[in-house]
Amino acid sequence: MPEANEKTVIELKNVSKVYQMGEVEVSALKNINMKVEMGEFVVVMGPSGSGKSTLMNLIGCLDIPTEGKIFLETHDISKLSESQLARIRGSRIGFIFQFFNLYPTLSVIENVELPMRIHNYDERKIRGKSLELLKMVGLQNRNDHLPSQLSGGEMQRVAIARALSTEPSMILADEPTGNIDSKTSQEIMQFFKKLHTEKNETIIIVTHDQSVAKYAQRIIHLKDGQIKEGG
Amino acid sequence: MRFRYILKLSAESFMQKKLRSWLTILGIVIGVAAVVSILSLSTGTQQIITSQLGGLGADIVTVSPGFNRASGMFGGGGSGGGPEGGGGGTASSITEDHNLTTRDLAAIKSVPGVKAVDGMISDRLAISYLAHSATLSVEGVDPLAWKEMTTSSLASGRYLTPGDGNVAVIGSRVADGVFKQAVLLNSQITIEGKPFKVVGILESSGSFGGTDNAIIVPIDAARTVIESVAPTHFSSIQVQVQDANSVNQTTNDISSKLMLVRHVNDNTKDFTVSSAQSIQQSISSIMGTLSLFMAGIAAISLLVGAIGIANTMFMSVMERTKQIGILKALGTTNFEVMQLFMVESAIVGLIGGLLGVFVGFIVSGIIGEIGVSVIGNLGPRGGSMSLTAITPELVAFAIGFSTMLGIVSGLLPARRASKLQPTAALRYE
Ligand SMILES: Nc1ncnc2c1ncn2[C@@H]1O[C@H](COP(=O)(O)OP(=O)(O)O)[C@@H](O)[C@H]1O
Ligand SMILES: [Mg+2]
Repeated sequence: MPEANEKTVIELKNVSKVYQMGEVEVSALKNINMKVEMGEFVVVMGPSGSGKSTLMNLIGCLDIPTEGKIFLETHDISKLSESQLARIRGSRIGFIFQFFNLYPTLSVIENVELPMRIHNYDERKIRGKSLELLKMVGLQNRNDHLPSQLSGGEMQRVAIARALSTEPSMILADEPTGNIDSKTSQEIMQFFKKLHTEKNETIIIVTHDQSVAKYAQRIIHLKDGQIKEGG
Repeated sequence: MRFRYILKLSAESFMQKKLRSWLTILGIVIGVAAVVSILSLSTGTQQIITSQLGGLGADIVTVSPGFNRASGMFGGGGSGGGPEGGGGGTASSITEDHNLTTRDLAAIKSVPGVKAVDGMISDRLAISYLAHSATLSVEGVDPLAWKEMTTSSLASGRYLTPGDGNVAVIGSRVADGVFKQAVLLNSQITIEGKPFKVVGILESSGSFGGTDNAIIVPIDAARTVIESVAPTHFSSIQVQVQDANSVNQTTNDISSKLMLVRHVNDNTKDFTVSSAQSIQQSISSIMGTLSLFMAGIAAISLLVGAIGIANTMFMSVMERTKQIGILKALGTTNFEVMQLFMVESAIVGLIGGLLGVFVGFIVSGIIGEIGVSVIGNLGPRGGSMSLTAITPELVAFAIGFSTMLGIVSGLLPARRASKLQPTAALRYE
């Protein structure tokens, strides 16, 4: 067993990821060891192609490593069935993506409600909770709009509200500022900071954006699929 | 994810691509409508045949002269116009009408299982009533035996009784639709110039072999006006069997016995023994084969519709790859993703089935209308029956079947959706 205590949210041990592209093998991550404790604000920095998205997919249990082990809280994810993993991933991790990935046919408030509906939350509590979250991200007047009617910054705020709806143990964001202008980026980052300081949320952000680094408590530098510093 | 929410997401996806959904549904509608109208046509005609032949009585066997070698069934008509069913061009005696004799009658009486026998003669004769005349079928019957066997009930008056002289019982249309004035009970009609007193008027039977157009008189009186039948001959012999369940057996026994006394074999047979059941069975079997064949063709169009559903669903899975990725990232299991797509294709099947039944209903209504006007009234008042019949079983079957079809067609696309890797799905643009 790992030396993880109850405060460890995620731990990677000797993790490698190799993509098979026909005949060619692409080694995206090489022997990664890292651990994130509850309440940390970690930024993974690295140039394009360094393996950040691959790392984020593994941390988020969206993909499985070619080698090594991943522990989410106390679960060894390689020991979970497909449906157990889906449930844990969806309820314990709040995802925020570069391209927002809001569900296009659902309204703003329905998007925030979606994870709670997937995880069979009490029907009577869902609406109240999502109204509260939308108010928190400052979008209380846009409940019935479709995602396509919002700006990039607004969509990302909906995504944040959605990520928080199941009260996950960590927020995992891949290039959250990658598709919005720099002024809005700073607003979004201020928001993450507020979540961290006021709500003690565990936040992991993967980015190549230097301006994001200053919000971090700890920075992990990734290069050519290896951790250079901060792991 | 609760099933209610799966339903909501599926219905929304269905509504999103309206035109394509409706085109897919159209494929199912056509198939279901074709199957429904064909099956309803066959059910309807079967019902008509059953009810029309019901007029003959389940326990009645008719022996008539002549034998049709082509079908072996329809030779000889009933008691109406002379049988046209002779032929086949074998022995000359085969085509001779009215050649059943008192000897045949006696032979039939001796067959076990026979309860009563009625030797009948009939011809179309000139009838007049209050200076108005018409040519109608006159049947001479054994009063006692006829009363036993007839399925017609009296509207007024009485049946014939032994000892009756020149009296007649007339069908409802003779009473009401042939002459200028309605023929009243106890009035007098003339048959070939001889006076007959009307002692009974029958209820309308509205079926084949019915008596609506007939004038029934005692056979002795009939022989004084019908000259086309020799004194010891009959136009047909009606036989009542003791047990309606053994009609087929008794039919065979009568046939064997008559072949013996008439010195004929299977090749030279010159008479036909038929029962309502045997006629109905052979018509039903022909109709059954025909409608099975047509339903088979309709089923092919349903198959094409099913392929249409599968095709649309595969496209839908492709287009919604990203949505599937989002759902999976947020915790939706493979099985739930599968349900999401299966429900959508089931909706297509269900709506296709509902609309298909509706269109089938209209189409079979039109077929019914055209059919009735082409075939005309089957039997005197047969027009009131529809040529087609849509039963609740047919509706339930059609809707259930097309929903199943939707589910089955959605199986492979749904499986593909459920097996998508979340990372690959999220990368998809
Ligand atoms: N699904 C994949 N199949 C093959 N190669 C991949 C796949 N995903 C990423 N890679 C490769 O792995 C390396 C790391 O990619 P990625 O994790 O996306 O980096 P980053 O997010 O830092 O830009 C790159 O060389 C990329 O081409
Ligand atoms: Mg990336």
